[in-house]
Amino acid sequence: MIKTENLRKRVPLAEGELEILKGIDIEIKAQESVAIIGASGSGKSTLLGLLAGLDVASEGDVWIDGASLAALDEDDRARLRAEKVGFVFQSFQLLPSLTALENVMLPLELHGRDQPDNAARSFLQRVGLEERVDHYPSQLSGGEQQRVAIARAFAAEPAILFADEPTGNLDTATGAHVIDLLFEINREQGTTLVLVTHEQRLADRCERRLRLHGGALVGDESGSARHEPSSGAPHLRGV
Amino acid sequence: MTAWRMLLRDWRGGELGVLLAALVVAVAIVSGISAFTSRLQSSLEQESHRFLAADSAVSSSRELPEEWIQEAQSSGLQTAELLLFPSMVFADDETMVLASVKAASDTYPLRGELVFSREAFGELERGSEAPAAGTVWLDSRLFPLLSVDVGDTVTVGDASLRVAAALRSEPDQASGFLGYGPRLLMNMSDIPATNVVQPGSRVEYRQLFAGKPSLLQPFVEALEPRLVSGQRLLDIDNSQRGIGSALDRAESFLLLAGSLGVVLAGVAIALAARRFSERHYDYVAILKSLGAESGRINRLYGASLLMLGTFATLLGGALGWALQALFFSLFGDALPVEPGPAGPRPYIVGAATAVVCLLAFAWPPLGRLSSASPLKVLRRDLPNAVRRSALDNGLGLVAVLGLMLWYSGDVELTLAVLAGLTASVALAAGAAFLLLRGGRLAGMRAGSIWRLGMASLQRNGGANTLQVVIFSLAIMLLLILVLVRTSLLEEWQMQLPEGTPNHFLLNIAPEDVNAVREMLADETVLSEPLYPMIRGRVVAINGDELGRGDDAGEGPRERESNLTWSTALPPGNILVDGDWWAPDSREALVSVEEGMAESLQVGVGDRLRYLVGAQPLDVTVASIRRVDWESMQPNFFMVFPPAVLQDLPATFMTSFYLPPGDKRFLNGFIRSYPTVTVIEMDVVIAQVRAIVTQVSAAIELVLGVILVAGALVLIAGVQSSVDTRMHEGAVLRALGAGRGLILGGVVIEFAALGLFAGLLATVSAEIAVYVLQTRTLDMSYSVHPEIWMLGPVTAILMIGMLGVWNCRRVVSSPPALVLREL
Repeated sequence: MIKTENLRKRVPLAEGELEILKGIDIEIKAQESVAIIGASGSGKSTLLGLLAGLDVASEGDVWIDGASLAALDEDDRARLRAEKVGFVFQSFQLLPSLTALENVMLPLELHGRDQPDNAARSFLQRVGLEERVDHYPSQLSGGEQQRVAIARAFAAEPAILFADEPTGNLDTATGAHVIDLLFEINREQGTTLVLVTHEQRLADRCERRLRLHGGALVGDESGSARHEPSSGAPHLRGV
Repeated sequence: MTAWRMLLRDWRGGELGVLLAALVVAVAIVSGISAFTSRLQSSLEQESHRFLAADSAVSSSRELPEEWIQEAQSSGLQTAELLLFPSMVFADDETMVLASVKAASDTYPLRGELVFSREAFGELERGSEAPAAGTVWLDSRLFPLLSVDVGDTVTVGDASLRVAAALRSEPDQASGFLGYGPRLLMNMSDIPATNVVQPGSRVEYRQLFAGKPSLLQPFVEALEPRLVSGQRLLDIDNSQRGIGSALDRAESFLLLAGSLGVVLAGVAIALAARRFSERHYDYVAILKSLGAESGRINRLYGASLLMLGTFATLLGGALGWALQALFFSLFGDALPVEPGPAGPRPYIVGAATAVVCLLAFAWPPLGRLSSASPLKVLRRDLPNAVRRSALDNGLGLVAVLGLMLWYSGDVELTLAVLAGLTASVALAAGAAFLLLRGGRLAGMRAGSIWRLGMASLQRNGGANTLQVVIFSLAIMLLLILVLVRTSLLEEWQMQLPEGTPNHFLLNIAPEDVNAVREMLADETVLSEPLYPMIRGRVVAINGDELGRGDDAGEGPRERESNLTWSTALPPGNILVDGDWWAPDSREALVSVEEGMAESLQVGVGDRLRYLVGAQPLDVTVASIRRVDWESMQPNFFMVFPPAVLQDLPATFMTSFYLPPGDKRFLNGFIRSYPTVTVIEMDVVIAQVRAIVTQVSAAIELVLGVILVAGALVLIAGVQSSVDTRMHEGAVLRALGAGRGLILGGVVIEFAALGLFAGLLATVSAEIAVYVLQTRTLDMSYSVHPEIWMLGPVTAILMIGMLGVWNCRRVVSSPPALVLREL
């Protein structure tokens, strides 16, 4: 599903170059859930950006479903994202001028789906926000905003979901609720999940944990991920 | 996702409002001013045609070819003919008065109206036909002079004609013979019977033409090369020097104002578009992370812009129409004629302006949105795509240049304005940076409010430099308009101040000089000194005899002109070359008027031979003078030291001011000195005044509109920086800063911006006004100390208040709310 080879990222600085990623080789299988963990500045988010094709590697390559990202230009990568990739961000990244419903409709519209609002509505219902469809992001709490973001991420039924510190801006209880939702829908849709976190609790729920330190991969552990909900989130049948 | 839906959503988000408003304002201002000026111009043009009583006219001292009339008629033009000459008019009792006779064909006047009354001073009536054959209309003043009434007969030459009405006003009374004595208007068909027009008589023949410009223009253009010496094409410029130049300057000013309006609008649009695009970088990053390609982003924003432009054009056009309609409904009464139609052009201009503004000002930043990195969704601190400011500004400059050229069709005006703008921007950019640095240094030593304000100024050095440049640009444009308007109006008023001589007396015999002087003094009329006047003719220059009359050949010809003497340089004259003679000079010298010197091709030191009567007079050119021919003072081409002319036969002349109610003085005067010629200029002056007043009103109105545009630019400029300031203010408040501190900081910051901008604007405005007045408007220039206070103070007040008003929410709403919304 996702494969990297000698993935390196360097950024120019005044006093020379800084290597943020120092040759990462990983392979992530379809439907696998993977957490990228490590301290701040270890290169987690940079790796995520490269895997998702949001950024370009200085050296090495990423393959998604066998397609080399290095061979694609920005627009080709955008098309690939539209087809296969969904995102959940730490800072939610909802468009402030759009309602919750419209935010969820966005990827559907970019896909050219028929009746995007029906699908969007049902996803919002799936995350328990059917009452807030017409609210703007500024009228929603952080947890609610992230649930909208989750609905948006899954609405296009992506093959891969990238999540960047999805609970980073949320309190523990809300964060746990959001995590439950994320894993539930992930399981329902059979999505490959790659998330960046420094929260052990979240990492532990993934099937696999990649540990970064100073831009290098220092650990790759597969372990007994706990799939059961950690809180009493409503288990709604979606879609 | 369709662009339309994005627009709708963005509209709800409120970000689009600024851009749309700027665009609507731009289109409204451009189409409004364009409609206003073109309606005003067409009305002023009508007004000016009224002064010829036609659209175009040819005049000559010899008979004009009859076939021109036939050609004009077959081209579909209306025609009329005039014959003007001075003649003695007799009443039955042998009383006689020198009258200025105008014989007109039936169709006269082609433009404007004749105002007459059935009795000498009776009720006014209007008509557009000349007196019928066998009848005359007399100037009211002729009735007492001749002791006649309506119905009596008067004799012109050999013809007896019945007095049918009193002529109170004629459209073209200001042009040509200017009324040597009171007017007598008669029918052209009675001329043969008078036998007064003989070969060699002093007469002026005139052919008048009127018709649609599409018919008239080719006719006039074909006529022009056929004119021979002595035949003149009359237009507003040469029939009405004062009015012509007033109109030209008014037109230049309105065009200038319109162009500056466009510059202001362009700046407002560029600011709004930049702000819009900056706020949309995150939006585009999210869209791209969700899989939108750059082509799609471009199409999205392109289509949005297209819809926005269409909407803004419609709305702005309607607003522009309403604006000029409002002007005319408020001030239309002040206009002498109905405002003409504006036609579709103003709205085409408005739409084209919208297109150009969108392409040149709005699209560059929006087009770059598609290059936004999707990585921005992960790293919010990532800088936005590189601003290609130089390229943007270059494109904006080219657009402004093109638009201004298109509006004004005047290369020089455009370049002058552009030079001012460029100088201003360069100056402002450099100086703003230095000033901001200096401000910081000063602030470091001051209290915390000052430190806050000044630190904030310098922290955003680049953005603030840009703001100072924009503010100073807007203020400079406003200052330019105020200055040019003020000096334009002042010059006009100075040209014809209250008490300007409105009557000329010619042919005063030397023995009557003292008596006339006393009579004028007794009646307490304001009069100029009495100048001697001698008719003389230049016959040779440096010993070379000159060609005569209509002789073919190059070089200067013999010129007859009025000679006078004076010990001192006549008031209002300016010496441009050479020196004035000592009061008691007995040297054979002459001072020549600039234009005359040019046409004679003489300079200081050249020897001229005059013939006065049969007596030769040899003199050397001592100086060249500039004379203001519009001053209504007695002006002379040639001035000599008194000793040179003293022995030659002279008559005297003067000019004086007669208040409108004292016209009867003339009757007594004419009776006492029947040989003195009275030239009445009061009507001309009144007409010039009326036009100047109307044009001034128009200029004030246009200035008002531009002021609105300038204020909008200031608002857009302040708004563009409000987000950061709001954010900083909210953070400071969250940290516990009091409202007073934050508000004080904002006040200081914006006031300092205003001060810098005001100073820069004042300097650039002086430079631009200098160029404009000396090069384009053909006026003299002097420094304007008044704006050195006005500019900076106004700027501080306006920008300070706008800044505080826009940032008021920082102190009026809870910081958490502000922080959350940003």
